[in-house]
Amino acid sequence: MIFDLSRIAANNGWAMAFTGAILVLSGLSILALIISQLHKIIGFFEKQTKGLPVEETKPAPVGHADLLNDLEATVTLYQSLTAGLGERFDLAQLYRLAHKDQLPHPHLSLRTLRENGFLIASGDGTFSWKNA
Amino acid sequence: MELALDFLKNTGFAMADWRYLMMILIGILFCYLSIAKKYEPLLLLPIGFGIIIGNIPFFKGFGLGIYEDNSVLHYLYFGVTSGLYPSIVFLGLGAMTDFSSMLARPKLMLLGAAAQMGIYFTLLSALALGFDPKESASVAIIGGADGPTSIFLTAKLAPHLIGPVAIAAYSYMALIPIIQPPIMRLLTTRRERLIRMPDTERHVSRKELVFFPVVGVLLCCFLAPASIPLLGPFFLGNILKVSGVVDRLAKTASSAVIDTATIFLGFTVGASTQADVFITPKALGIFFLGSIAFSIATASGVLFAKLMNLFLKEKINPLLGAAGVSAVPGSAREVHLTAQKEDPGNYLLMHAMACNASGVIGSAICAGILWSFMMG
Repeated sequence: MIFDLSRIAANNGWAMAFTGAILVLSGLSILALIISQLHKIIGFFEKQTKGLPVEETKPAPVGHADLLNDLEATVTLYQSLTAGLGERFDLAQLYRLAHKDQLPHPHLSLRTLRENGFLIASGDGTFSWKNA
Repeated sequence: MELALDFLKNTGFAMADWRYLMMILIGILFCYLSIAKKYEPLLLLPIGFGIIIGNIPFFKGFGLGIYEDNSVLHYLYFGVTSGLYPSIVFLGLGAMTDFSSMLARPKLMLLGAAAQMGIYFTLLSALALGFDPKESASVAIIGGADGPTSIFLTAKLAPHLIGPVAIAAYSYMALIPIIQPPIMRLLTTRRERLIRMPDTERHVSRKELVFFPVVGVLLCCFLAPASIPLLGPFFLGNILKVSGVVDRLAKTASSAVIDTATIFLGFTVGASTQADVFITPKALGIFFLGSIAFSIATASGVLFAKLMNLFLKEKINPLLGAAGVSAVPGSAREVHLTAQKEDPGNYLLMHAMACNASGVIGSAICAGILWSFMMG
């Protein structure tokens, strides 16, 4: 195998690469633009339909600082940790993974997930996710 | 006695040569990495075991091998060559993906697009090395770091390369913790790696989550109709999840359906690496180009993030660019861990997941674009 740039031009490679790159960049840029305005569009139509002032979107903490206030984010994070553990897993294993990834308050997070019914006890010492 | 000798000649022991033994050792290595090291076990274990089974030498003509008509393996392999398994895997992925992080941070979607540049760079490299255009597109898609997408496009354009492309794609995905961190550190300064991203973002309403799959599938599939077989099921899976009215379907798609497809996909791709058709100079070229594709994809995401910082008031951590490849959630976790090595209080996982989700869409669009180019 010898590297020969003339083969690229012979196979229309430059045009394919350039056009492909522009297409994917512009496609995702347009999608990003649309979704950045999606809440405004939805709000506008709700306002038209109901004739009532639309409830303003409030900033919700979804990150590290106040993770426990956002159960959805906590569930997503902890579910990603259990991806390789199978459908049923040991809470101690999950705790160790959370600790290894330096997630905040793993004990408290696991208790919250249990109390809110996201982690279901299987009865044999293992747990599974509610929608697993 | 003659019967016994004939029988012995037809056993795997008599027919084996170094190529089969080498492939079986690779299969055992994959099994070891998945079980002992837990590297992508959901994929590497079925692939590794498939490699072992696919490389047991057998008497050709009995309808045993994956490339022989009417063999059981051949029927199972149809799901790969037809693109069926990748589509089903995408349905399950959609039902498992939470887009709220991406919807709250749409500008990070651009990093998912930038990381696809590895695909086009590799397309050029493969053409220059003498691969024909269809083979080059199949090799290039490895840069998307998405196994099902790589298999889907290769099945459509260069089915004879499915084995090497799939093995390269999944191997490099499993090696994310080894490949990505040095590139991230090389291309960023410590000061950049210390950039913290704001924790609080806009709240994403349920209506937005429901509208997104509809908007996403319309825009992406109108742009690249050839990506319908991947993005169609992907967004269908997602709307099953977020609509909240078909929990049973969403649960099945994200568990039994995707698991079944993953087992057969991994197993048959592994079995397709039969030594006599797998060990070729082209396969070596594919492994080499695959590593280039993956590295360039990581680098282009990081460099694009740095470019964005030139224009943004609120700087983004350029490490996030590395999560623009669609290896979910491995690359997001690696970005998070790399940032935490510099500053244990820097928490990038949710932001990196936004880039990751965008990368999945980006690589599927790229596959559609490349397929269109090659069919045109």
